[in-house]
Amino acid sequence: MTARRLTLALLIWLLPLAAQAHEIGTSNVRLMVNDKTWSAEITTAPTALANKIGPQAGQPRVANLDADIVRTRLTAATRLIAHYIEVRFDGIVSPARVTVTQVEMPDDIARPAFVVLRAEGEISAQAKAVTWRYGLVYSTYAVVFSDAQSSEPVTQWSDGDAESKPFPILISGPPPSRLQIVAQYLSLGFRHIVPEGLDHILFVLGIFLLTPRLKPVLVQVTAFTVAHSVTLGLTMYRVLSMPPQIVEPLIALSIAYVAIENIVTPKLTPWRPVVVFGFGLVHGMGFAGALAELNLPRGEIIPALVSFNIGIELAQLTVIATAYFAVAFWLSDRVWYRARVVMPACAAIAATGLFWTVQRLFDV
Amino acid sequence: MRSRRGARAAVVAAHLLALIVVPARAHDFWIGPSSFKPAPGAIVAVHLWVGQNFVGDPVPRQSGAIEQFFVRASGIDTDIGGANHIDPAGLFRAGGDTTAAIGYRSSGSDIELPADKFEDYLRQYGLDAIVAERARRGEAAKPGRERFFRYAKALLTGARSDATATSPLGFAYEIVPHDDPPLPLAGPLRGFILYDGKPLAGVLVEALWRDDPSIKLAMRSDAQGAFTFTLPRPGVWLFKSVHMVRAGFFSSVDWDSHWASLTCEVPKP
Repeated sequence: MTARRLTLALLIWLLPLAAQAHEIGTSNVRLMVNDKTWSAEITTAPTALANKIGPQAGQPRVANLDADIVRTRLTAATRLIAHYIEVRFDGIVSPARVTVTQVEMPDDIARPAFVVLRAEGEISAQAKAVTWRYGLVYSTYAVVFSDAQSSEPVTQWSDGDAESKPFPILISGPPPSRLQIVAQYLSLGFRHIVPEGLDHILFVLGIFLLTPRLKPVLVQVTAFTVAHSVTLGLTMYRVLSMPPQIVEPLIALSIAYVAIENIVTPKLTPWRPVVVFGFGLVHGMGFAGALAELNLPRGEIIPALVSFNIGIELAQLTVIATAYFAVAFWLSDRVWYRARVVMPACAAIAATGLFWTVQRLFDV
Repeated sequence: MRSRRGARAAVVAAHLLALIVVPARAHDFWIGPSSFKPAPGAIVAVHLWVGQNFVGDPVPRQSGAIEQFFVRASGIDTDIGGANHIDPAGLFRAGGDTTAAIGYRSSGSDIELPADKFEDYLRQYGLDAIVAERARRGEAAKPGRERFFRYAKALLTGARSDATATSPLGFAYEIVPHDDPPLPLAGPLRGFILYDGKPLAGVLVEALWRDDPSIKLAMRSDAQGAFTFTLPRPGVWLFKSVHMVRAGFFSSVDWDSHWASLTCEVPKP
């Protein structure tokens, strides 16, 4: 009982990370994907569930039910309940079997009542993703996905009977080799910057636009790389934690800062590497947020983490190299390079960064 | 709150609905106390519910979402305490001597719905004027961005009647009975819809019976903001109404919706 209450309290505490929707109810779901089967543990309010399915099950509605009656009613209606559970693997429904495993209805009105249902079914071969939908809930509730090979569960918030986002599963087919994992996360890290991470691209361009000389760029990129590598690792291992509501506006602000400083001065100030290092710490936490959503393979966390980070570095170098050979290589020795290239570009980057800062702060 | 007897009721429709679990994107909110007739000194557990057709899910206490949560008896308000993130949302000791009112007012929560689902819900809750207004503004195909506010109240029977039952709690949107419904009544149940303390005409008011929510009465408030239901059965009833207005210029949403509910137990005549 205490564990369930603590779990619900923890999930509710985490809700600010989710989009706002209806009120959070007392229901929660733990969906486990195994080798060839799946199972879900649904914890929900007993009387409410009995009354939701009552009319279709031919059972009259009663306000005050006891545990024995609830168990009897729900056990008789498990097939009906199963119709409301929609687990899809790559879009194909896997029919559910439902059993009632626990009914707790304490006499003490101050203590919560709950019922635990177990649903289970088979996984279609080679499925890559699973979605969850449960039609017997009106409130917002947590769905905790996990599979046999994932490093940790992933929580999604579902609003009523809405279908969850697809949860990628790793267990179908033979497990990937370490080399395959390294290649996969290298690619994911690269794609997280190019083309998906426009904010990180603008930050790197801000670093580059200060001056096209190699040493200042190298100093800044090194400071940024060391910093984000540190926080990426520490965040993934839960040593550090900062909510995205803080991290994301700070990333946007960092973009504006480097661009504005480029407008103010063309020189590498003594504090610039320190500031870039500080912002690198923030960007690392942003990278960790993206990596956490990828469902890291259990037992291969370090290779995945390192290759994801290398993918990010390669993308950063690609951005700088592209900017250098597209513009700076040809134009940086012109007297008007700073006035006609650096200043307008930095003004645009600063404006974008400030816009994102406001947008992310106020969620507009 | 007084109104002229015999005030013209608008259309009264009583209809049986097929009782199925209907997928919907908008849900009612109401208070369900552990007892509507608590004995003097008894502990009352206050459950909050979200759902449809008087069938719903319990909502644990969320202090961040609560603007007001109190019980009013004999004109005195007492905050309802409880443990955060736990259902029941609150507990209090009942006086039991007079009719008492439990009040809950939430802070606003934002929600965005696709255009089709938003308009379905608007029609379902009788907000046809908003559908027309969206069309007039050229927003009919745009998602509905809304901030919703809950104003729930429940009446508990005491040994004698009290003005608490027939006085507004002061919510922005509120259902106020004309008489004390937990006391035996000979006639129909009358009440008023108030918005910002003033009667509101033309809004849909619905009444649902807990023992069989397919028994549903519906009407629109008249020019005096009044409604009248002839309740076919005694027992616990939910009265509910939704009012929607355009959000302010600087708001991040387009619409503010106000959800009023009243739950009470109506005894046999």
